[in-house]
Amino acid sequence: MTSSFVRDRPVTEAPSRREPRPAWRSAPGAALVLLGALSPWASAVIPGGAYPGLATLQFFDAPYLVTGFRLHLLLLGLAALLPRASRAAGAGAAVIALVHIAFLAALGVLSFGGPVTLAGGALLIWLGRREPAPEWKLPSRALAWPILVAAFAALLWAVSAMLTAGGQSRATNPHGGAEFLSFLGFAVGLFGILSAYGVLSWLSALAERHRAFSLTVLLACAMLLPLTEAGTGYWMTVASTIGIYAATAIGLNIVVGLAGLLDLGYVAFLGIGAFTAANLAHVVSFPVAALAGAVVAGLLGVVVGAPTLRVRGDYLAIVTLAFGEIFFRAAQNDIGGLTGGANSIPGIPPITLFGQGFDQPVGGLPAGFLYYALTVLLVAGTMAVLANLKHSRTGRAWLAIREDEDVARAMGVRTGRAKILAFLVGATLAGLAGAVFAHKLGTVGYESFDFSESVTLLAAVILGGMGTVPGALVGASLLFVLPEKLREFSDYRLMLFGLALILIMRFRPKGLVSS
Amino acid sequence: MTLVAERLFMSFGGLLALDGVSLTVPDGGVVGLIGTNGAGKSTVLKAVSGLLRPHRGEIRLRGRPIHHLPAHAVLAAGVAHCPEGRRLFAGMTVEENLRLGGHLRRDRHVAKDMARVYDLFPVLGERRTQRAGLFSGGEQQMLAIGRALMARPALLMFDEPTMGLSPIMIRRILDTIALLRNQGTTILMVEQNALAALMLADHGYVIDLGRTTMSGPGTDLLADPRVRAAYLG
Repeated sequence: MTSSFVRDRPVTEAPSRREPRPAWRSAPGAALVLLGALSPWASAVIPGGAYPGLATLQFFDAPYLVTGFRLHLLLLGLAALLPRASRAAGAGAAVIALVHIAFLAALGVLSFGGPVTLAGGALLIWLGRREPAPEWKLPSRALAWPILVAAFAALLWAVSAMLTAGGQSRATNPHGGAEFLSFLGFAVGLFGILSAYGVLSWLSALAERHRAFSLTVLLACAMLLPLTEAGTGYWMTVASTIGIYAATAIGLNIVVGLAGLLDLGYVAFLGIGAFTAANLAHVVSFPVAALAGAVVAGLLGVVVGAPTLRVRGDYLAIVTLAFGEIFFRAAQNDIGGLTGGANSIPGIPPITLFGQGFDQPVGGLPAGFLYYALTVLLVAGTMAVLANLKHSRTGRAWLAIREDEDVARAMGVRTGRAKILAFLVGATLAGLAGAVFAHKLGTVGYESFDFSESVTLLAAVILGGMGTVPGALVGASLLFVLPEKLREFSDYRLMLFGLALILIMRFRPKGLVSS
Repeated sequence: MTLVAERLFMSFGGLLALDGVSLTVPDGGVVGLIGTNGAGKSTVLKAVSGLLRPHRGEIRLRGRPIHHLPAHAVLAAGVAHCPEGRRLFAGMTVEENLRLGGHLRRDRHVAKDMARVYDLFPVLGERRTQRAGLFSGGEQQMLAIGRALMARPALLMFDEPTMGLSPIMIRRILDTIALLRNQGTTILMVEQNALAALMLADHGYVIDLGRTTMSGPGTDLLADPRVRAAYLG
């Protein structure tokens, strides 16, 4: 029998006919970027104080002392001389240049260094080499651990720098938004260079091999954030808010990313958890209130899930959208007297443990650290739930439903049960996050749970990478940091936000963390 | 008899899809269903596997009625359905697809059966960590067959297994089905390629407008002038 079988040839890629471009071609672009970095940027003294990095006319006081974004440009320009790095470095430089050109133009000031740098960046992207990243061998355990520690420490630094870039508010730094966007451009360039040399995939393979060790170090690094520049009460509060949304987004990632059920009313479950905890806050302790919030939200998840079993895709999205809207309007009108309506529910006491209020500073650490630590644990917990479910029998059933529900049924997957379970787990996690949300804010009002929040959460999941474990965390961090950072652009804030989403989806269609 | 279906009726929105189809599949036999597009062949398979529920009629697997069971229970009872157009989980790897084929199984022989599928189709073994969507039509059909085999079915149903494949691949798939039959698997297949189906089948049914219009041993149907005129050109 077997003799008549045709042997299948493995598919091989056709060899590329184009010769690799010689390395020197990145030289002119790199030179322009370096020139841009060492030129003055603004033609006049700009209102609102000194521009970062001696960029204005004060440049002539110390022309070769560069800091801030011009230091970033200098580094990118030097990195661009490495053959594989030139495209990524060029992209980073171009983003930085565009941000500053636009910002200076909005102030009515001409930019000198900007166009030069932009031209250099464009040249680098145009002439740079595009090659598949090289693959590196994984080191032995003795080397792997220090490397991983160093990598996670660098990640901690990057997170801290990203969080604090541009300062706290318009009052302290009028150029904060531009500085942040510019730093984002530098980060894009840096990550691009690392991935062009295969460093990122090498590190993630290494972390995968030493999984337990990596997770421990990662958790430790997260807990060390208060010791960095971000260690003030303000940043701790920002970080823990992001953490709560990230945990919620991870829950949504189970519903949307794994089971493929498009849920447009998901923030309602965060609200249900928050209102449940808020109503119980004076009656029971936090753990009980949190548990109650999770259970109530989970049960309502089942209530929403059950009637949606017969609708799919777009229709499911409409049903969930309606549910979100019903919750929002009900909360607005204080139906049942549980939400406080327009007055919201004020005076929710902060969580206390052993007489220590979570809103008070502890030891030498800033106020808000305890809430931050709690949300880190919350995020770690929800990520563990997601990771375990993803590789379980249930997870496989969800993925099968996401890909093709009819065939999943033919394979014996009990699709109805699996879908309700996805709604249940997702809603429970959101409810738990909601309980923390209520205690941390001290006030819960219906406005926090409107449709746009659901959309932002969904965008966080898609942006981060559907169904991936770190995806929702990355997406939520970006989506909840960006509006905070772009505050000074006021009217343009949503436009810039939308632009950022479009750019990310254009260049990383499968999300920032693709599987 | 592995499978007996008696007088199945089903309609979609007033349109009669099955108008009293009856058929039997003997143990270890290959039964082919032929007929034109829209004759109701695929609907018969879906009714058997529980994806659709017949309005009237009875389906028995080894004497046990299964027509009222949900799809997962029919699969657990031993009917695997290899759907039309292959319908693989394109974003999943070969291995994940096979694992889903054995989704209901909780015994310890899943790995052994997976190895058997890789024996049957070495190309799948070589590419077990690649995503199914990257495969050629023929390779996808092999994976679809392998996925159905993972359920260790008493009855294996194929819906248009050769659709859209190259002549070489059609040959290869039909050889595989013959091999499975020789190993004792009971098979019910729907095929547009009437010649191939009847050559392979021990018994054939001609279905037209939701009814069984002719039946008989595959070679007899092949020789029948009416079949030749209508389905073999």
